[in-house]
Amino acid sequence: MLNLYRFLIMASFFWLLPLQAVEQTYAFDDVNKQAIFDELTQELRCPKCQNQNIADSNAMVAIDLKNKTYELVQKGESKQDVIDFMVARYGQFVHYDPPVNAVTIWLWIIPVILLFVLVFIMFKRNKETTTRVSDDYLKQAEEVLNQLDSDSAKKDKEA
Amino acid sequence: MKNLRLFIPIGVFLLTAVFLYKGLFSDPTNIENANLERPFPEFKLPDLMDPSISYSKQDVMGDMTLVNVWGTWCVTCRVELPFMTRLRQQGVRIVGVYYDNAAEAAFGNLDVSQTQQEVKEMLAQLGNPFQFNIYDVKRDLSLDLGVTGAPESFLVNEKGIILAHRRGAIDERIWQKEFAPIINGAK
Repeated sequence: MLNLYRFLIMASFFWLLPLQAVEQTYAFDDVNKQAIFDELTQELRCPKCQNQNIADSNAMVAIDLKNKTYELVQKGESKQDVIDFMVARYGQFVHYDPPVNAVTIWLWIIPVILLFVLVFIMFKRNKETTTRVSDDYLKQAEEVLNQLDSDSAKKDKEA
Repeated sequence: MKNLRLFIPIGVFLLTAVFLYKGLFSDPTNIENANLERPFPEFKLPDLMDPSISYSKQDVMGDMTLVNVWGTWCVTCRVELPFMTRLRQQGVRIVGVYYDNAAEAAFGNLDVSQTQQEVKEMLAQLGNPFQFNIYDVKRDLSLDLGVTGAPESFLVNEKGIILAHRRGAIDERIWQKEFAPIINGAK
């Protein structure tokens, strides 16, 4: 019983966290616009306090960006329009989901290259350790063994 | 061949060390302004002291101009006022963009006449570097400029192109390093 109680307290703690993230001071008549606005404030990054989105931040510039986002969304602009508007003014930094371009492509390519290199090295090593001893070498070894056998046989006779 | 292989871990280690060492001195807030080398945004805003005067982009063009975004509430702006005043005496054309405290504006605590009074007192005390002050009423111009706080400064040439940008106060060292060479180069 006590355990269940504890579980409920903990569960309620986690349950409430996402709910308090966005203050509801921006009113919309249209549910779709509300959804776009919520997504945008989560995705747009505060240029001042850099590890927060503008929904979480109370920095001055974040307040202005939220107001601007509200204004643009109310005007009926699409999500991409607003993102383009912000990126034109604050650079790619302002969006948490940067596009794949000549620079960022390496973030995707390098891990794949590394994976291939590692797999290649692994296979190469595996082969090296399991390579069969060559026939010539085996023959030589046999000869040496035979030699040893005959030598010891001789010694036995003499003794 | 075998000996060369021994250097691979050392090489990887050195590269990582150099990368991380450089990271110690990189400033994450130093992001290049997206407006650099682009035309100054269009605007139509009143004078801070006399709302009957209206300014547009043409008023910051024509001559090499330093556009300084500032506010009386901003402590760092106070610090740079005396140096900027000396720049004005040396012949640099400086135009102010007055940037209200957005948090105060959000609570509706702003009164223009009070702001004018504060500006007068502050400029009388610390020096007045500005030819005039543009009042960025809704901070739309600052947003178009990609301003993240005050103070920020933009060097605009006679054609209205932004040549240099500084986030934070300008002092002698930064002026000589980042702004003076551009002005001298243009002459």
